[in-house]
Amino acid sequence: MNEYSYDYRTVQGFILSAIFWGVIGLVIGLLISVQMWNADFNFGEYFSYGRLRTIHTNVLAYGLGIGAEFGVFYYLTIRLTKRNLVLGKLARFHLWLFNVGMVLATFTLFIGMNQSLEYAEFEWPIDIAIVILWVIFTIVILTNIFKRKEEHMYVSLWYIIATLIAVAILYIVNNLHIPATLTKSYHLFAGTNSANVEWWYGHNAVGFLFTTPILAMFYYFLPKATGLPLYSHRLSIISFWSLIFAYLWTGAHHLVYTPLPDWIQTLGIVFTLFLIAPSWGSVINGYFTVDADWGKMRTNYLTKFFVLGITFYGLQTIQGPSQGIRVISSLIHYTDWVPGHVHMGTMGWVTMIICASVYVIIPHIYNTKIFSEKVANIHFWLVLVGQLMFSITMWVTGIQQGAMWKMTNADGSLKYTFMETLVGNYPYWQMRTVAGVIFVVGMLFFVYNVFMTIRQGQAKASLADVKAA
Amino acid sequence: MQKEEFDNFESFSRKDTEHKLPLGWLVLFFGLILWGAYYFVMYTPSISGWTQEKAYQESIEK
Repeated sequence: MNEYSYDYRTVQGFILSAIFWGVIGLVIGLLISVQMWNADFNFGEYFSYGRLRTIHTNVLAYGLGIGAEFGVFYYLTIRLTKRNLVLGKLARFHLWLFNVGMVLATFTLFIGMNQSLEYAEFEWPIDIAIVILWVIFTIVILTNIFKRKEEHMYVSLWYIIATLIAVAILYIVNNLHIPATLTKSYHLFAGTNSANVEWWYGHNAVGFLFTTPILAMFYYFLPKATGLPLYSHRLSIISFWSLIFAYLWTGAHHLVYTPLPDWIQTLGIVFTLFLIAPSWGSVINGYFTVDADWGKMRTNYLTKFFVLGITFYGLQTIQGPSQGIRVISSLIHYTDWVPGHVHMGTMGWVTMIICASVYVIIPHIYNTKIFSEKVANIHFWLVLVGQLMFSITMWVTGIQQGAMWKMTNADGSLKYTFMETLVGNYPYWQMRTVAGVIFVVGMLFFVYNVFMTIRQGQAKASLADVKAA
Repeated sequence: MQKEEFDNFESFSRKDTEHKLPLGWLVLFFGLILWGAYYFVMYTPSISGWTQEKAYQESIEK
């Protein structure tokens, strides 16, 4: 035990909360994947696809994703500023507020309160709570950065600051709603403007919840876990500034071939393609770092998490910009290719890096080792296989869907009815459910490993207390 | 009381790569900027005259 114990408890609280919400989100994900091919699995209005899909995305993005990011960011901030949290009590309050907020927010989605904006479904009272939550978080982190005891600002801190500022701006602007009643409000922007603001927000939610925070973890935990120094600090900083500069312009690529003005679409596509460069700056940095000793892939069980994670990030950042190009967008937009794309990022990059970070943090908190490397390896392979199956089946069926929609007879009429294209998805949707089960089982191995490590650490600590007495 | 052991950030970055960026990456970086300029000129209605509507009409006349 030491003076950092209190803050580490907060970190652990967030990680455990994230695991809790993660399991709920994953189970709901499995259920909605079954609902896609068997309508009998819709149980009443509360457990119908329309409600549950929203809960799945929000609980995993905000509960698992941000929950883990809160905890890991606090941990990173302590490490990188070399002092415990100046506002540790506020951070603990933030932990409680986060979980209470998540319960309330999930409940409102269950009862059907919905702003009908993707990833911004929460109604205005919840939005206000989220803004308060985020401001508390920002104050705690920035206070530590201002009062840091380490002159040097490591690249992870920059990614953390970018996340704090960007999410605040995006969330507030897209959630400007005119309340009608306590449970219903209307978007301040109308028509095309509403769509444009929504996707400016929607795409940057991916940028600043699933990219910058995860890169912050990647840049710290990769050298930390493998013991290999980062290939180039300069490359990481240049990638950082170009990434955040370009990211904020790219939302319009979600609206290709829509009433949105052509020039805005074009500008969005230009910046989207440019994003390959900063993204691949991080990918190259990761590869060259491990290039110093590829033997680490065998000798250090965490290395493969980081290498595979950054590989999927690299694939994601080639695939994503490609989808922005008009001709490709016209084939795969609105098809099941898109969930395939999203899940390669979330299952292959985000959870891979978060899990690896947790595998470093939890043992460090208790000054112990991971409970079982073998379990961690099983977790790794199951998650990898599940994610690949998920992504690939969805890409295949997405291309099939897009092609069938476009096919015409000699007289110009459509060759297939919509229903025929839907039925074509069924075998792939069934395969996706199998993939989901494999992935979730892998994640349960992870959860088991974390809990056993904590138990082992607690036992060790109480033993130390006895010895000290 | 355990002492908290902190990281030495000096050891986090390689010294020999401090002043150079990978050439291939630089080519990618500036290449994409140039491509972006080209694409913007070609597909902005007020510059090149291309519009989504025209492209659609052409596609159905085929």
